[in-house]
Amino acid sequence: MTDSPRLETERLILRVPQLGDFERYAALLADEEACRFIGGHMPRPAAWRRFLQMPGAWAVQGFAMFSVIEKSTGLWLGQLGPWQPDGWPGTEVGWALHRDAWGRGIAQEGAVAAIEWAFDALGWDEVIHCIDAGNTASQALARRLGSRVLRQTHMPAPYEHVVVDVWGQTRNEWRASRRGASA
Amino acid sequence: MTIGEAPGPQIDTGRLLLRPPQRDDFDAWAAMMADGEHVRFIGGPQPPSVVWRGLMSMIGMWASEGFAMFSVIEKASGRWVGRVGPWSPHGWPGTEVGWSLARDACGRGYAFEAASAAMDWAFVTLGWGRVIHTIEPQNEASKAVARALGSTYIEEGRLPEPFHASPVEVWGQSREQWLARRGAQA
Repeated sequence: MTDSPRLETERLILRVPQLGDFERYAALLADEEACRFIGGHMPRPAAWRRFLQMPGAWAVQGFAMFSVIEKSTGLWLGQLGPWQPDGWPGTEVGWALHRDAWGRGIAQEGAVAAIEWAFDALGWDEVIHCIDAGNTASQALARRLGSRVLRQTHMPAPYEHVVVDVWGQTRNEWRASRRGASA
Repeated sequence: MTIGEAPGPQIDTGRLLLRPPQRDDFDAWAAMMADGEHVRFIGGPQPPSVVWRGLMSMIGMWASEGFAMFSVIEKASGRWVGRVGPWSPHGWPGTEVGWSLARDACGRGYAFEAASAAMDWAFVTLGWGRVIHTIEPQNEASKAVARALGSTYIEEGRLPEPFHASPVEVWGQSREQWLARRGAQA
């Protein structure tokens, strides 16, 4: 795709997933601890099908999660961004990061850019984050992004047995807090 | 690229049009996958939210690898009647040309017509040396299509997770066999 977006932050490039990202993606999805709250770890063939959902959704919707690339190393660090599969409880900006990215504020840096893009380019009115009640790391990030718990919900299949907290905020709330942060 | 479509070829087979899946195929695709009795040999029924993910994976494969199954459109009516074509995700036991048609499109030779065109495309355009069809042992209708295509039973095989629980029959043929047979018909 020639017209696909590419976002740049201080340390990161966010771009549409490419086939070359798969090895790192498969490593992330084989990492039991890293996948505990994002549907569970899975073997390579299942990871392949799941990986392809993103380029497919990009092709038909014009949005999906970005691949997160570290500028200094070129390394794939994870994926994050807008995500709204069929039956999803709202317009999500989500994140799933390889352990190489943990503890360095990478998810926050990427999520800020992705949320800006979702509100500006996609025109979303609200951004949500579906977070397991035990996922303290993602809760802390959601809080730093200015989101709060809005409600609880069941997820659609294949995660129909999972209940999550729906965190989120409106575009107006985001704009107001960003103005406050940069003032 | 136009948003809503996956890039790729279009093949006119006479009664059918084969093209990469599009977002608009979702409702008909989901209806087929909800028909539990009908899809018992291809993994069983799926709710729409799971079908959506499968459709995105299919389109994602077209976008990233340049091939995957085609959506099959009945030219006379313009409706989506199934998906047919090349399929070889990671861990698959070979380079498959597969077929799944909606219940009300069965019995008209559509699977054979579409699969023949997809076999040509796979051997000629993709340059595959061999085509397989993984078939559930009870699925006599699909074996009849495989036989009509000139394929034969090769061996018992296993699909990758999450479809690994029970064995499948692997049918297939080489490019030489296919081209010889097509040449004989010409």
